[in-house]
Amino acid sequence: MDQLVTTLFNGLSLSSIYLLVALGLSITFGQMGVINMAHGEFVMLGAYTTFCTQELFANFLPEQVGSIYYFAAIVLAFFVTFALGCLLEKLLISKLYGRKIDSLLATWGVSLILQQAVRTIFGAQGVNVNAPSFLKGGLAVKGVTFSYNRIFIIILVAFCLVMVWLLVNRSRYGSRMRATMQNRPMAQCMGINTKKIDCITFGIGSGLAGIAGCSVALLGSVDSTVGQNYIVYSFMTVVLGGAGNLFGTVIGAAIIGFSSIFVENYQSASIARAIVLLIIIIFLQFKPSGLFTVRSRVLDEGV
Amino acid sequence: MDTLLKPALHIEKKSRRGYHITFAVIAAMLALSPFIIEGTSLVQFLGKCMCYAIVGIALDLIWGYTGMLSLGHGLWFCLGGYAMAMFLKLDGTNGKITDFMQTGGLTELPWFWKPFGSFPLTLILVILIPALFAGIVGYFVFRSRIKGVYFSIITQALTWAVYSLFMANSKFTGGNNGITDIASIFGKTKGSANRTNLLIIFFITLAVLVLVYLLATFLTGRKFGKLLIAIRDGENRTYFSGYSVNSYKNFIYAMSAVLAAIAGALFVNFNGSITPTQMTISYSITMVIWVAVGGRGTIIGAVIGAFFINLCEYNFSSGILVEAWQFIIGAIFCLTILLFKGGIVGIVRDNIPELIRRIKNRKNKTAKEAA
Amino acid sequence: MSFVGIELNRPMEVRTGKALDIKSVSVEFDGFKALTDVTVGVKRNTIHFFIGPNGAGKTTLLDIICAKTKPTSGTVHFYPAEGYEILLTGMKEYEIVNAGVGRKFQVPSVFTEISVYENMVLSLSGNKRIFASIFRKTSAEENDLIADVLDKVGLTEHANKKAGSLSHGQKQWLEIGMQLAARPKIIMLDEPAAGMGKPETFKTGELLQRIKDICTVIVVEHDMEFVKQVADNVTVLHEGKVLIEGNIDDVLADETVQKVYLGRGGD
Repeated sequence: MDQLVTTLFNGLSLSSIYLLVALGLSITFGQMGVINMAHGEFVMLGAYTTFCTQELFANFLPEQVGSIYYFAAIVLAFFVTFALGCLLEKLLISKLYGRKIDSLLATWGVSLILQQAVRTIFGAQGVNVNAPSFLKGGLAVKGVTFSYNRIFIIILVAFCLVMVWLLVNRSRYGSRMRATMQNRPMAQCMGINTKKIDCITFGIGSGLAGIAGCSVALLGSVDSTVGQNYIVYSFMTVVLGGAGNLFGTVIGAAIIGFSSIFVENYQSASIARAIVLLIIIIFLQFKPSGLFTVRSRVLDEGV
Repeated sequence: MDTLLKPALHIEKKSRRGYHITFAVIAAMLALSPFIIEGTSLVQFLGKCMCYAIVGIALDLIWGYTGMLSLGHGLWFCLGGYAMAMFLKLDGTNGKITDFMQTGGLTELPWFWKPFGSFPLTLILVILIPALFAGIVGYFVFRSRIKGVYFSIITQALTWAVYSLFMANSKFTGGNNGITDIASIFGKTKGSANRTNLLIIFFITLAVLVLVYLLATFLTGRKFGKLLIAIRDGENRTYFSGYSVNSYKNFIYAMSAVLAAIAGALFVNFNGSITPTQMTISYSITMVIWVAVGGRGTIIGAVIGAFFINLCEYNFSSGILVEAWQFIIGAIFCLTILLFKGGIVGIVRDNIPELIRRIKNRKNKTAKEAA
Repeated sequence: MSFVGIELNRPMEVRTGKALDIKSVSVEFDGFKALTDVTVGVKRNTIHFFIGPNGAGKTTLLDIICAKTKPTSGTVHFYPAEGYEILLTGMKEYEIVNAGVGRKFQVPSVFTEISVYENMVLSLSGNKRIFASIFRKTSAEENDLIADVLDKVGLTEHANKKAGSLSHGQKQWLEIGMQLAARPKIIMLDEPAAGMGKPETFKTGELLQRIKDICTVIVVEHDMEFVKQVADNVTVLHEGKVLIEGNIDDVLADETVQKVYLGRGGD
């Protein structure tokens, strides 16, 4: 019983981390169709922003406010990566509109630059983020311990999820964004500044990566390649759930997260990783055809 | 209709003479290089570059021509590399179990290592394993019509999965360290005493590169090559022209995997080791960078790109530029994709004829003025 | 007499009977019924038009025949020759093409990165397997056929150009030419006159009338002038159902047709 509860909790925790990283992707990839290979690096930058905030607070502010730094870090991480995302969209992605594979490759170039930049500034050695005091320890229920930082991440993910849902489905901006992504020329005719929408949408997707970085920082040492550990799974999450479908992304993350934890009970983590990926590849065989078939009258859409 | 008056149709063959001459010059320079270069390391490096060029051609066939971007060709490169390295390792230990197996607690050679004791079997397996593996993966992926960026993501995930397996099972694969301390097929290559060994493997690799180049130009020159481009242009249209596109894709994908594996098998002879690093996604994308910078969609572009990028890296690999190199390669890549879609070959192809015409015009002008 | 390499002197009895039989086909997209119980027979060596207002299901019907879309229920049978029957439903799109049912799409879709001539070579009927595409050379007869077709569609002088550099109208012609080179038994054209001027449309009509001697032609079209010029049989679709079927005069005389279709400013 305890074993099962622990497994379920770990599965939920892992799923929520994948979901947080994938949430940004589901916007940039799902809505805009842009494969941002630098998404993992935005996660990494979010983690480093957390580290920087921690150092700043520790050096310049009295110890009593120390723990609050983490909330400041979340906000900061969002804005730092939001700004960088907007910049990236303006400089690179907007120039490669309609060339999806090329934008994938160009953003990979950016990710190389970001990784090296971080190595140059912070050194190749990883840095450590100290979990704020209120996240230390865990909640013990009948012999099973639920660590606070994992519970916090789950709450954070739920919060982000609700915010994204409200933003996309309930806000003026959201309806403009959906209009732009579904029918660009029409949206332009309706007086929507589609370039601005593109830029902000990409920024929000990147900003969510930054928030994901904050939570990743709680889980272990942060170095320049930390984003790479999550990026493969996050892409699979979005593909599995169906691009452009928020609910699908949640389900995708849950499938990957829980199955990884369950397989890990019987096999080593690496073998679990391989098995889960193979299961997904096989699963995609039977995926509802909606994702891959073209329903427009244009026979072949640009790649 | 009047069949007596057949409409005349004049078909121009696209001239690829410029490409062939360029390749011939590169091959000749490579053939001469070991006799000019003194030390061992640069010759070894050029040998590796030839292997990279073969991978470049393999990638170009599926990405540049067919439009399928594989983000996991390091996997095929490594399958070939590991197969050859296993043979060379067993050759070194006389068929006994290796150091990492002992560390892992094995007392007997694992069954799947045994075939690699034989050289002919190893050669067959270098080709057979990737062909089968890529064939099966391709069958499922292409059957369900996964394409575009989805294909890239799947190849990336597959590579990541196999990479994890190689890392985790260190008693079978050497784990993080890979298979190290191996000589070439013809014995040790380091030092001047073993220079003949190095030269033999160097020229074999050169011969393979030439053969792969010829094979690729042959294939792309045929109707088959036009079909690959047609698939890139409009996959569904190709289906509606009556072609089983998924079989074509599967074929070229498996072939590309085999070529990459051959390159990997040759590579370990120069490198002296194979590690899972060569299987990572970032290494696989580096291979894509070669092709992009050289010029996708032309075979010679892949060759030029592989040499250009790696020679740059070789020269930057010392001093303060080591750190700068990552910035440079990232920037080169972004700029190539953004501004020079045709890569180096594209720049030359688009500008040289114009240049020649200008020079001719100027000559004509001066000739007129003189008259 | 020959046209694009095929002898035209065929015995008359071949020209009777059906070439295509669509039996109670229905299609549903996410609850939306695009086609409901459509049954149409297409006679051999005729020009058969599907007309109807936007959203009537014309293109969907073509999609069903060539397997771009799967029907929810119903079957499509194809009779390549008298006494032979092929069930198209369930076949792969390339198998259908190789069986002899070709289609030109509404949006010109030619291979833009290869030359016009190469586009034609890829469309030729015959062995379409990998091995053949590597080792087999285009035969002299095939080149003659291509030359003939290119002449018919007026693209001879553009043979070596990249197809992407052609004008919109030329791409339309090239695509029709590609269909001719494939020598299908049935050729389906989705709005062949779209984006063409009056003279070009008329020329297309003339071409269709010559083609119908060698194969069956199915056309989806809006331009009523064009329909009047060439149609042998017309099926009017409305909201996914067959409204009326018959020759052009009967159809034009029908009151319901005038109400739902012609009344809406169709000329």
